[in-house]
Amino acid sequence: MAYLIALIKGLVSKALKIITPEPLQLSNGKIVRPAISIMWIVIPVLTFITLWSISMTRFRLDMLIRRSEQFFVIVNRMIPPNFAYFDSILTPMIATILMSLVGTIIGAVLALPFAYASSELNQSKIGKFVVRGFFSIARTLPVLVLAVLMMIVFGAGAFAGTAAIAIFTFTIMVKMFFELIDTADMGPFEAILSSGANRVQAFWTAIMPQLWGQYYSLTLYNLEMNIRNAAILGYVGAGGIGIVLSERLAWRVYPDVGLILLVLMVTVLVIESVSREIRRRLL
Amino acid sequence: MIQFTDVVKRYPNGVEALKGVSLTIEQGEFVAIIGLSGAGKSTLLRAINQMHTITSGSLKVNGVEVSSLKGKSLRRFRRGIGMVFQSFNLIKRTTVIKNVLAARVADMSLVQSLLSFYSKSDKIIALEALDQVGILEKAYIRADQLSGGQQQRVALARTLAQQPSIILADEPVASLDPVTSAQVMNDFLKINEALNITVVANMHHVDLALKYARRVIGIKEGIIVYDGPASGINQQTLKEIYGRDLTEDDLMGEH
Repeated sequence: MAYLIALIKGLVSKALKIITPEPLQLSNGKIVRPAISIMWIVIPVLTFITLWSISMTRFRLDMLIRRSEQFFVIVNRMIPPNFAYFDSILTPMIATILMSLVGTIIGAVLALPFAYASSELNQSKIGKFVVRGFFSIARTLPVLVLAVLMMIVFGAGAFAGTAAIAIFTFTIMVKMFFELIDTADMGPFEAILSSGANRVQAFWTAIMPQLWGQYYSLTLYNLEMNIRNAAILGYVGAGGIGIVLSERLAWRVYPDVGLILLVLMVTVLVIESVSREIRRRLL
Repeated sequence: MIQFTDVVKRYPNGVEALKGVSLTIEQGEFVAIIGLSGAGKSTLLRAINQMHTITSGSLKVNGVEVSSLKGKSLRRFRRGIGMVFQSFNLIKRTTVIKNVLAARVADMSLVQSLLSFYSKSDKIIALEALDQVGILEKAYIRADQLSGGQQQRVALARTLAQQPSIILADEPVASLDPVTSAQVMNDFLKINEALNITVVANMHHVDLALKYARRVIGIKEGIIVYDGPASGINQQTLKEIYGRDLTEDDLMGEH
């Protein structure tokens, strides 16, 4: 037993010697001992987690390489896309854009009062805690789960999708925006408060003018995100282009799928670049 | 009339900023409060409009016990008291006129203020306030485009738009250069004399305080150690207030 302990001690001290950086001596004789790098912990832990994940998911790199040609086979079948199909996807594509637009606007507007309630401007500690807690929980719901829930409430279709997007945007925007409120200059707020305004009036008059640009920018950022979200909502039946996409994929009509993906990419790119340009001007 | 009787202010961390302050300020006076930073000047000023609540004692403004005010009655009371700050506290990303109009929201309903629905008479009040401090032509320029002195004038116009009977000024010229400081102090003096508005100003620079205020209150560690005419201040009293000889930093110089 004593031998075993001595062995472990010896091993530990040997390991420490390896990972301890060499002391550096300055020309005036001072000795500096560099700190042990945290990488000696981070790298083994990450390696362990990665290996464990590979065994859990049965991930196989050889499979990824061997079957990847199959991906290009499908892409090949999508080319050329079936442009004659364009008329049939125009309506669902517009529906997708409108779903995200309306959902984003509703979510962004609703977020304003709740962002105020979550911010340091809210004097009620309990109120702030409750609102923040509620939204932390609400934010854990992925947009697809929200869409399924909304379909249970409102039935399948674009309305459920829009509602899901609105709620999703609402929960995210509350957090993003209350953190912005807390970085605003409080001086004007104190000034307006001292003139006899109530806190909501002072917030609206003194804090919001500092933040409108960032608020619109956040809203546009959410719109970009939601267009991509809206495209997959159809998979669970919540309206938009996703419904057509999943149907065409299931029937393996690859030229149609090609056109849907092409139109989707162009739409997302156009909206993202327009939005980026507006945001650049806002800030 | 502002009436302090044995006012004590103790902060939650135990610091006693005011230790039994008693003083009376008549309507229309121009009072400067001097003292080291941390002496309680800012607390004294903010007690008057209840931006800081007092711990004990009595504080009456025009006969109303200020510490008894809450919610709506407190907000209505504050409308009559303007406040000016060292850092101006303007809403920088918006126009001068909107900054001045911001002083009118206290008089408006919540819906009106959310829609920024300012009446014609509000706009005229705001423009006249800007005219009084001589920067009417800057009305539609963004506040952050103005110099420091101009920004402080906008802040002064903002409090004037409240049509107050008292203006509290917390180090109004401490961030300004000597020439601009003199201009802004002259604005205060003009408003004090023309409109009979009481001005209570915390002053970092002793020479400015003595030049513009008729009455000076010296405060040291929460206790009033001098209260009298500016002409009664001498080396001895200053040493009492500051606990040391004056330094270069306590004077604005060249005015």
